Amino acid sequence: MLYSTFYLGQTQMAVPIPCILEIGRSFKFHPVRGAPEVIDGLINLRGKVVTIVNLGLAFEESKIEPSDESRIFIFKNNSELKEVADSDAVMETAPDNIGIHVDRISDVIRVENEELQAVPANMVHPFYKHVVRRGDSFIIILEPSKILNLHETPDLLS
Amino acid sequence: MSEAKNIKFNIYNPIITYEHRAAYDMIVSHLQEIFPICNQGKCKALEVSDDPQKQKQINDLMEKVEFFSNSLITITKVFFDQLYRAKQTSSQSISQSTAMIKIDMIERNLLERTCDVRWWALEKAFWQCITLSNNSKGSGKGKATDSSSKALREAVELACTRLEDIRNSYTLYRDLVIADTNGVIIANSNADRRSKVIGMNVSKEEWFQRALETKDGTEYFVQDVSSSELEDMDALVYSTALRADGDEQGKVIGAMGVLFDFQGESQIILNDYLPKDANERTLEGWFSFFTNKEGKVICSSDENFIPSGEIADLPRNHRNLSSAGDVIVSTGVVCGNRSLIVSHKSKGFDEYKGLGWTSHLVLPESAMFERSMTNEDYGISPQELMNSKLIPERNQQTYREIQRNKGDIQLISINGIILATDLGKAGTSFIPIFDQITTTGNSTTGKMEELLSEMSSDMLEQNLKALENFSKQAIDLIDRNLFERAADVRWWSTDHAFWEALQEGTDEKFEQAAKRLGIINASYTMYRDLVIADSNGRIVANSKSENRDKLKRMNVSEQSWFRQGMQISRSVQFGVQDVCDSDLENEETSLIYCGGILEDGQREGKVLGVLGIFFDWENLVFPILEGCLPRIKGEVVDGGAAFYVNDEHKVIATTDSENFKIGQVVNLPAENLHLEAGESASGIFSANDKKYIIGSSRTQGYREYKGLGWTAHVVRPID
Repeated sequence: MLYSTFYLGQTQMAVPIPCILEIGRSFKFHPVRGAPEVIDGLINLRGKVVTIVNLGLAFEESKIEPSDESRIFIFKNNSELKEVADSDAVMETAPDNIGIHVDRISDVIRVENEELQAVPANMVHPFYKHVVRRGDSFIIILEPSKILNLHETPDLLS
Repeated sequence: MSEAKNIKFNIYNPIITYEHRAAYDMIVSHLQEIFPICNQGKCKALEVSDDPQKQKQINDLMEKVEFFSNSLITITKVFFDQLYRAKQTSSQSISQSTAMIKIDMIERNLLERTCDVRWWALEKAFWQCITLSNNSKGSGKGKATDSSSKALREAVELACTRLEDIRNSYTLYRDLVIADTNGVIIANSNADRRSKVIGMNVSKEEWFQRALETKDGTEYFVQDVSSSELEDMDALVYSTALRADGDEQGKVIGAMGVLFDFQGESQIILNDYLPKDANERTLEGWFSFFTNKEGKVICSSDENFIPSGEIADLPRNHRNLSSAGDVIVSTGVVCGNRSLIVSHKSKGFDEYKGLGWTSHLVLPESAMFERSMTNEDYGISPQELMNSKLIPERNQQTYREIQRNKGDIQLISINGIILATDLGKAGTSFIPIFDQITTTGNSTTGKMEELLSEMSSDMLEQNLKALENFSKQAIDLIDRNLFERAADVRWWSTDHAFWEALQEGTDEKFEQAAKRLGIINASYTMYRDLVIADSNGRIVANSKSENRDKLKRMNVSEQSWFRQGMQISRSVQFGVQDVCDSDLENEETSLIYCGGILEDGQREGKVLGVLGIFFDWENLVFPILEGCLPRIKGEVVDGGAAFYVNDEHKVIATTDSENFKIGQVVNLPAENLHLEAGESASGIFSANDKKYIIGSSRTQGYREYKGLGWTAHVVRPID
């Protein structure tokens, strides 16, 4: 499967391409009064209302500020995901379109199933699904549904 | 990108290097390859999906890629133009300041000469000698008596000795002469030429005639570099009248002419700042020379190609600059080379208005665009450098535009891959197309970034070189100035009023000595005070009456300048106490020169006491440093600073007392701190939460002044 990779600080992460609806530059966020801090705000994507999660804050690290390099990954919602042609992979995102704000985008990689390795026990995180080795470095494959359904991780919404 | 219409350096301009033309071809041909790929993508969209929305999305993406590729082709053209313009501007600016430094250096020197000649003409030995000579001719009816002949012989001998003393103290002169009103040379300083010169008649020479026309002791005349009977080579002669009884308003009784070693001095200045090969020979096509107001070369760094005495082979507008301070920069052919020519007309220095000379610097045009070969690692990333203040705003804009286009192409490609994935198996044929777009986008923008990085490191190198030049100018100027002080103190120490006062020790003689010191201080503006201490360290006379009571109570026997002075046994020696606090002046920074006052005014003998001269440090040093600050279009760069440090790296003078304080040891790179005499270096350092670039030069002294181990640093912040 193809994965789109990006950086959070120095860590390279990836999400499956079929889950992504579109990748864009940092849009103008519309702040929402009362929303948790981890939410940057809302954007309008061709008529769709999309909530943007700040991935830095979601990992309880420093906030990602919009810059020339920062990007928004907008995910398909669950029903859009089902319409992806010829897909035999079982994937889930969220009932709504949700985006994540990342530091900078990197390249697209193809990862075969046998390359996917379990996350080492000492670095388990609810957002991590697998680890992939590329040369001397590692790329962490994220579980989009966990990031996009933050209400299931109540600590981050406080 | 409206600039695309105003391109000065087209890629086919012969000045563009082969490497850059190859890089341009590579970038453009890669970008051109994208268009057929996009067409292929548009056709495939029709093949793989019946959904008009999907087809449109793919078409839109392809059109966006075409748009950004077109935009990058335009940027590439503008980019090379900007790269060469930036190099040209920077190189021209450095060349301009180099031409200016050279003429400024010689004019400052010549200002000192005007002070010298006026002061020396008051010397008792000279006017007494001329008076005796005139009397002996005036008595005229018969033979002069034996006693008057003997007195005249002795007076001539003394005058020659004193002229020699001056020449020994001030080693910048080839000869000094005094003549009577008929133009007959009575005495000279250069013993080797004495037999030829004494008795020679110079009444037809302009320097002599104009000296006789001076109204009082404050006036002088400079005869521009020209031939004189006195010498075999062209001479620059300063002259003034000798007056009865050494009175500035007295009757004219003769003239004094001093022949400055213009060629020797100019050669040093002209050969400075010219790039040299491994054998210390100036690189091909680089010339530096001065012309007089008629456009004739008066001294040249290369007499074979630009000979003195001839009209310089330059475009006419470079030969006839109309106003003082005018600068002209252009390109043309000089000595068969396509060259950059910079001409800077002198505006003199301070009260010396100059002779309308012009300094010219010629360098091969290609030298402006040469790549820097140093490859030094200054610990600054290409991005940091690209965003620094060293890079002109429009180049930074291009950098940002390239970055943005690179980011856009990348986004389009990945979004294309997302779209292709949505189409399932049918969409897989798109993936190589978008991969190719990504690869091409990355390679072309990568190449452009590489070129930008090259440009920014060249700009860094050029700016570092400019700061090095400024620091060299700063240390050279202070060395030259302090050489003059060393010359002054040596000569003044031989004054008869001083040794007579110390020998006789009467109040009357001390009063006369004080008066003499007062006259000196009034003639020279660079001293706070001048004092004479006897052999016990007691101050017995000084130039400023308001300081007298305080100084009379002081004993300086423990002070370094006094102890150095008491070690002196020859009149050619001097001492100097490095900048430090001094209770003599209540000043934080005093610089004191000293000379030994020797018995009977002999050239060698027992020291009777010490003459100490207090250099007006702040007032003289600050303008020198200020003149060496980095500038852009005449304006000092924001945050630019210049300072001197002593041998212990402590700041002793500064233009920025907030960030580089007096007494502070600034944390500079080791390469800039530990320089050998005459060496220069540059680098980058951080201080005061800023990143600075720095140029540093350590003193090499100048002639008899060996320097005190100081270093000049010139800095400018870049972030």
